[in-house]
Amino acid sequence: MYTYKSGIAQIDEVSGGFDAATNILILAPPMSLGDQLAYALTKPLPGEYAIVLSTNERAAEVVDAFKLAGADKRFTGVIDAITKSSTPTIVDTPRLMFVSSPTDLTGIGIKFSNMIETIFEGEFSDGEAGLFPPPIRFCVNSISTLLMYRRLEVLYQFLHVLTAKLKKIEGVGVYLLNSESFDEKTLSLIKQLMTCVIEIKVEQNINFLRIRGITGVNGDWMKFQVTRGQVVILP
Amino acid sequence: MISTGVNGLDEMLGSGIPQGSRVLYSLEPGVNGQLFMISTLSCALARGHSCLVIFPNTTVEAYRNDAARMYGARLDLASGPVTFMDAIDRERIDKSARSAEARASEWKARIQKLCRDHQVTVIFAYFDLLYEEFGLETAMEILESAREGTEGRKITLVIEHLNLEGTPLIERFIRDLSFDFVLAIRSSFRPFPQFNYFTLVHASWAQIPVRSLPFIIAEGRIIPYIPRIVVTGPAGSGKSTFVMNAADEGHSIDRGGTDGDSTTVVLDFGWLRWKDFDITMYGTPGHTRFDPLMPPYLRYAMGVIIVVDATKPDQLTRARHLIDMIVKRRIPYVVAANKNDLPGVMSVGEIRNHLGIGEDIPLFPISATRKADVNFVIESLVDSITQFTY
Repeated sequence: MYTYKSGIAQIDEVSGGFDAATNILILAPPMSLGDQLAYALTKPLPGEYAIVLSTNERAAEVVDAFKLAGADKRFTGVIDAITKSSTPTIVDTPRLMFVSSPTDLTGIGIKFSNMIETIFEGEFSDGEAGLFPPPIRFCVNSISTLLMYRRLEVLYQFLHVLTAKLKKIEGVGVYLLNSESFDEKTLSLIKQLMTCVIEIKVEQNINFLRIRGITGVNGDWMKFQVTRGQVVILP
Repeated sequence: MISTGVNGLDEMLGSGIPQGSRVLYSLEPGVNGQLFMISTLSCALARGHSCLVIFPNTTVEAYRNDAARMYGARLDLASGPVTFMDAIDRERIDKSARSAEARASEWKARIQKLCRDHQVTVIFAYFDLLYEEFGLETAMEILESAREGTEGRKITLVIEHLNLEGTPLIERFIRDLSFDFVLAIRSSFRPFPQFNYFTLVHASWAQIPVRSLPFIIAEGRIIPYIPRIVVTGPAGSGKSTFVMNAADEGHSIDRGGTDGDSTTVVLDFGWLRWKDFDITMYGTPGHTRFDPLMPPYLRYAMGVIIVVDATKPDQLTRARHLIDMIVKRRIPYVVAANKNDLPGVMSVGEIRNHLGIGEDIPLFPISATRKADVNFVIESLVDSITQFTY
């Protein structure tokens, strides 16, 4: 089974990376490096694909962020739930798909399936590596935004289906959630869907992360930075 | 009747949905099933029905754009007798009414007014957000309120719902809300990520067993797909001729037999589009030495055509053995008594007696060289597949 490199030495040296079918929750406060960490973990390595469900920024911004992080944009797809509300006539491409709004779970589910299918059929990009099943990193860049539009119970059921599908195709999922905007019940319900949780805190402008749920990985707080899509653990 | 817009489905339902029905298209997350409701909408508009389309999750322009892209130019939402309630209406209702009760009343009032003003006969509604906000009963009351004061006008209600709760919710629609027609649209995520199928769960006006059929989407249409019909029978009975005559595209893998004729050694393969069903046919070799191939051929078969040579009574024991294999797997089948244009054919009764089959199994005297005969057999088998009680 495929192992996804995390780019974090503390994980990769102990377990080789994330096992296929791992779902990772990043719990991060606002103004932290949470989104950068999520993108760093989602950035496709050679032979891999990335799909971002963007509920808080336009596809173009996501693609730019991945490009800055050193990702090959030919292997990065975005399901954009923002742009269509202002540009209703926008047309899907194999790598950029649009849904009307973050409320549109039907559309999100369909575009997710379509994009996965495009990858499986080898029609996503040129120069495909041919691994089967194709390794896919999937990121929801804000569960918090989805929670603003849909009830927790509904979203839980929806994410349950999404995470299960990701497991079936042996992908890895990264889900970003604002740790300060939701109550304990919300956090614990979302955590139930995950296999690993990375918590972030910020003290005196320094970001710390703590990894839970990976056997053998130290659960202590560690200082970190993200530089050009690379996670650097600071001494 | 209102056509579903899916010819194969209309066939199963006996030409469509009766006016005044309550219809549910229940979508599993991720399944590409939005075309079902759009197809029905398109057919209703083409028949001149005045339609109200309620989609609280998007705007009219985005919806029109999506519908046109999915369904093509056949759907003209700009000029048809259609009225919309969209995300902007929802926002206005949310702003104007603070409590859930007040919002429900506002929804009802607006829907009633639109139905009255535009003499609406069919309502299409995306149900998710109404259901989430008001719960099942109240959300349905909101939509049902359209029927009040319509002076005998029968209003058909068609809803599409992203069903995150599975079968229990579908049962509530049928049991508690008396829905007339329920179609569950689902997908299998293996071995390929997306394999779509629909299950005809309930049709109050027709005695149709619960039936699942895969479908494909091509040319902006939903096409029910029968991935495997097996054509089998004794050697020399005319299976290859049958498959080649039935197929729009077909191949036979033959080699010379000991009697000088060619004989199928691996399979015959045929693909055809028949009455809006997409069908793939596999013809088996007839010789007993190929029998180990039969279980894998039959494993995922949705139906079987047994071809027998009506001029050769000595072949029928072999045919009976094949029928036993099929019956054991509970696969619907029909019998084609081939070479009926030649002298010395047995009667239908004789063949039935030899094969040990009753009147309930369709048996057709045919000539596999005649396309019309072949089509008749396929039509009968498709009927059996869509209505067979397992």
